[in-house]
Amino acid sequence: MSAVSLRVNGAEHAVDVEPRRLLADVLREECGLTGTKLGCEHGVCGSCTVLLDGQAVRSCLLLAVQCHGREISTVEGLAADGELHPLQEAFSAEHGLQCGFCTAGFLMLAEGARRTEPEVFADPEQLTQLLTSNLCRCTGYHGIVRAVRRAAGQEPE
Amino acid sequence: MKPPRFDYTAPTALPEALRALGEGACPLAGGQSLVLEMHYRRQRPSALVDLNGIAELDHITAGDDGLRVGALARHRAFEQPVAGPLGRLLSRAAVHIAHPPVRNRGTMLGSLAWANPASEWPAVALALQAELTLASASATRTVPAEEFFRGPHTTARRPDELLVEARFPALEGAAGFVEHRRTHASFAQVAAAVALTVRGGAVRQARIALAGAADRPIRVRAAEQHLVGLEVGRVAGGGSDEDAFRRAGELAAAAADPIPEPHGSAEHKRQVAAVLVRRALQQAHQDQADQDQPHQDGACGT
Amino acid sequence: MHRAAARADQHPGYADPVNDSAPAPRGLLRREDLRLTTGAGRYVADVAVPGCLDAAFVRSEVAHGRLLDVDTSGCAEVRGVVGAWSAADLDPLPEVPAFGPSGATRGRRWSALADDRVRYAGQPVAAVLGDDRYTAEDGADEVAVRVAELPALVDPTEAADSDTRLFDTGGNVAAEVDFGEPVDEEVFRRAPVVVAGEYRQQRLAPTSMEPRAFLAVPDGRGGLQVWCSHQAPHRLHRELAAALQLGHDQLRVQVPDSGGAFGAKSATFPEYLVVAQLALQRQRPVRWIEDRAEALVAATHGRGQNQRVQLAADESGRMLAMRVEVDADIGGFPHIGFVPNQTGLAATGAYRTPQVHARVRLVLTSTAPTYAYRGAGRPEAAYAVERTVDKLAHRLGLDPAELRRRNFIAPEQFPYGTPTGRLYDSGEYERALDLALSELDYDGWRAEQARERAKGGRALGIGLCSYVERSGADRGMTQEYGAVEVAATGAVTALSGSCSTGQSHETVFPRMVAEQLEVPEDRVQLQQRDTAEVPHGTGTFASRSMQLGGTALRRATDALLDEGRRRVAELSGSDEVSYGAGAFRAGERAWTLGELAAETGKLRGEDLHEGVPAFPFGCYAAVVEVDRELGDVQVLKLVAVDDYGVVVDPVVVDGQTRGSIAQGLGQALYEGVPYDEHGQPRISGLLDYLLPTVAEIPRTHLRETCTPNPNTPLGAKGAGEAGCIGVPPALVNAVADALGAHDEPQLQMPLTPETCRRAAEGAR
Repeated sequence: MSAVSLRVNGAEHAVDVEPRRLLADVLREECGLTGTKLGCEHGVCGSCTVLLDGQAVRSCLLLAVQCHGREISTVEGLAADGELHPLQEAFSAEHGLQCGFCTAGFLMLAEGARRTEPEVFADPEQLTQLLTSNLCRCTGYHGIVRAVRRAAGQEPE
Repeated sequence: MKPPRFDYTAPTALPEALRALGEGACPLAGGQSLVLEMHYRRQRPSALVDLNGIAELDHITAGDDGLRVGALARHRAFEQPVAGPLGRLLSRAAVHIAHPPVRNRGTMLGSLAWANPASEWPAVALALQAELTLASASATRTVPAEEFFRGPHTTARRPDELLVEARFPALEGAAGFVEHRRTHASFAQVAAAVALTVRGGAVRQARIALAGAADRPIRVRAAEQHLVGLEVGRVAGGGSDEDAFRRAGELAAAAADPIPEPHGSAEHKRQVAAVLVRRALQQAHQDQADQDQPHQDGACGT
Repeated sequence: MHRAAARADQHPGYADPVNDSAPAPRGLLRREDLRLTTGAGRYVADVAVPGCLDAAFVRSEVAHGRLLDVDTSGCAEVRGVVGAWSAADLDPLPEVPAFGPSGATRGRRWSALADDRVRYAGQPVAAVLGDDRYTAEDGADEVAVRVAELPALVDPTEAADSDTRLFDTGGNVAAEVDFGEPVDEEVFRRAPVVVAGEYRQQRLAPTSMEPRAFLAVPDGRGGLQVWCSHQAPHRLHRELAAALQLGHDQLRVQVPDSGGAFGAKSATFPEYLVVAQLALQRQRPVRWIEDRAEALVAATHGRGQNQRVQLAADESGRMLAMRVEVDADIGGFPHIGFVPNQTGLAATGAYRTPQVHARVRLVLTSTAPTYAYRGAGRPEAAYAVERTVDKLAHRLGLDPAELRRRNFIAPEQFPYGTPTGRLYDSGEYERALDLALSELDYDGWRAEQARERAKGGRALGIGLCSYVERSGADRGMTQEYGAVEVAATGAVTALSGSCSTGQSHETVFPRMVAEQLEVPEDRVQLQQRDTAEVPHGTGTFASRSMQLGGTALRRATDALLDEGRRRVAELSGSDEVSYGAGAFRAGERAWTLGELAAETGKLRGEDLHEGVPAFPFGCYAAVVEVDRELGDVQVLKLVAVDDYGVVVDPVVVDGQTRGSIAQGLGQALYEGVPYDEHGQPRISGLLDYLLPTVAEIPRTHLRETCTPNPNTPLGAKGAGEAGCIGVPPALVNAVADALGAHDEPQLQMPLTPETCRRAAEGAR
């Protein structure tokens, strides 16, 4: 067992976990933050996407012990002071979610880009490339693309 | 799909990591392939040594002798090309690898050591004639890329060795990279990487490497020889280049020995290899032309 | 846009789907969105139960064989493992129930854990319970399974005649069903033109982003509380209670937030039975959270048919007779393999072909059982018909649109009884075709195609699909429950037996009821997905929720208002009672709904609505360019014209259409579960089972026509499955057109680059 300290959405979580425990499972179980989902556990679907020091990563392919002392951002940290994040509002307004299972992953993917490479939102080609990172089975992606553009201040279409 | 148990250490100095490897531990860098294999329980290391805290491994150093890349250099780091055809080739290949969240963690050297026959970096390493440095607790040796890849997921690396550095010699000339895959979330079926050494408007040396065309990345020497002496870039003219590129593609197809998969027979992959080699050469040709005659606004084919 | 015929306007609630420009509400579009965008959604795996055990299943690695021995003794030493059970250890050994009466299951047992034989790779053989999934898998590693292999069967046509039998009773053809009257061979012999086609409907993995999930918690009184990601909680309740011998009130089934289902989460699967029984017997909470590797290989698959079609016509293209023969691959067990019957029923398509005969054989193979997946039998029918219609057009040198026009069932012929046993309610098929052609700019693209062909340029193709769908489900499942209650506080609860797995019921149904009651929307809450709170229900599948569930709520609200009027008449002594803006009025007196409930007791209306199937329809059109060298298919433009009758919520319906289009695209170009000759699936994860990403979705234009459903007060037919019905034939027809490959037998889905290259070469 390893003692691991994770800083998640600004709060410290001190946990004692086996090295094999995935970051996704530790977030969901020990930290009680079930917003991050597991849809494939092979790094493909992106439902598990969180930010590690501001960058989008697959929490299903990271061991919790690897994140000792690091900053992790999950979907639970997007809304602040009772106000929804522009991405959250946009996803709803543009009907970018139906069952909602992939939503946290897409939100964090977009948020990671907003923090590290915001120029991607103004370039349709680059934005498409970014969004190929995650899978959705319900929406056909139309509302997701519109939502991400809208939140970035672009015309949705 | 949860991994089996293992012991875990995270040293901050390389000798400690090498000692652990000597004792049977498996190295963990990006983990984008290894952790997946462990989820399927296809790989069951008894111990992992996490390299992510070893600062000296985290570098990409440009010098007169080319580019030296350390074990912790992420795929992402290559997306913004450094100047020159070498940087452009690395950039073109990098943006094809998986997608951004995987590229944020996965490492180039991890990909080289993993040696998936369809992976981009091994083919690029061959095309650029990279030199790969392997270190163990007792010794360090350098292996040319040509001798490194020996089969599917099989390389010259011994279990007690770590691939610590790849050196890409400077490239004076032009480069091209083209990949074919079915969706944007799938592995490449086939990819072609081309590096041309050009002097005086003619090809002095050509290296053509393929991923997904055999059980390891391959160079297509017959096609390479066919191109020596060819005039390229602005100096060239006429359809003879196209003929040469097409012929090179045919030679590549003949040299390929692809592993069949459910939606890609060997014959199909051969055909794809021929087309991709031709297109990669066209791209390299354009790359040379862009260097010879930069656009008015200064953008220079980067 | 061409306005609907006058009768559509007469339907209350009709809204021109194209001109409808209701402003987006401030705040959130759906009530669900607040929790689902903030990580506060609660899916089964998020339900925290102290002391809950995780189950991992040991699954057969052999497709077909006699089960010799399952040795779980190695688990005893594994830290964190609570126990391991094979069929021999489960007493009683539960069985998967048959869906509906079926001779096919007689003498054929589907034990929840394999007992005598294994019949598909991935079939559960043992269950291991551990403190968490990690340790349960550690235990599973230690279980040794010995199987004496038998030959595998992977193709239904071969399996039908094989000496290798999956069960000791009977051959592998579990059932053979005829739809329509057999067509005399003479008709085909004498017909001026006969075209034929052989098509393969590949197996698909439904791949909802949340795989299956099941949690069983003993209630301490001999009963069980179950949380399950499911589409039909009342059916699950009924089948689980029967299998576990629990009384009706001893079992409660709840469906929390659910991450998509697409048809595949509506049965009682072996894993559910094992987990529920272990929870009861061990008196411990137990859950099974399926992982993606299991979901792709061992969960039920969709589609899976070999089809042979013959179509006879006269010289002018008038269709005389069609024969459809289907060998449907139902997998290793026949208990839930009814979907291919839908293909037989739908085989007439949109045409007034006088003679249509479909014969469907349900054939057992040693592969994962097939079951419902979005479209469930209708995409298969549309494909068989529409590919063959295009072949006929090609053979006659007729424009494919014109050929369809000459054969459509005409508007005045409805209700239309088809030769294959359907009664189509309403339709204007030509209107949908016209709209599709104009939206596509059909003439423009034909001209462009001609130019490219003349100069030996790009391989451009245009493909059409005119489809007729069936929504609402069939006899035995056309019922839905709705109730509306008003409490003394004025709060309104709408109860529905439907079950959202992403279809926005929580928002749409309360809005509907609020509109009818003329009260603010936020006064109404939906109660759904809980067998303890909602007494009856059929569930959500077959695009039935608005058509049937919405109708049940409409009628329940009517009943509530009737009851309210009756009470007010009594209270006021007056017969002149009116209702408006949330209040009853009689003379000078008025009661709001809440006031009436406070004075006379809870106000209630209830309806168990028995509906009939409805027949949405439409026309899809696609333009593609095929790279002859590499075989890549690029969809340049996709037009979807759908007629769902009256659309109650256009935003939700659009979302459903786009989602189903993406799935149709997946079937046409990317998806498939191939098996090798040993019955081993050749895919193991999402790196080889390829779902479309955003980059694979083409420019798509959605249009609608509106031909109301004459059989419900809402005028609504069902929506949600059209895209996976309309897209595959349109795309494949377009590629056939681009390559001149209509008669190429190689042109089968998925249209991989290799398939297209080979078809191009074959057609040259």
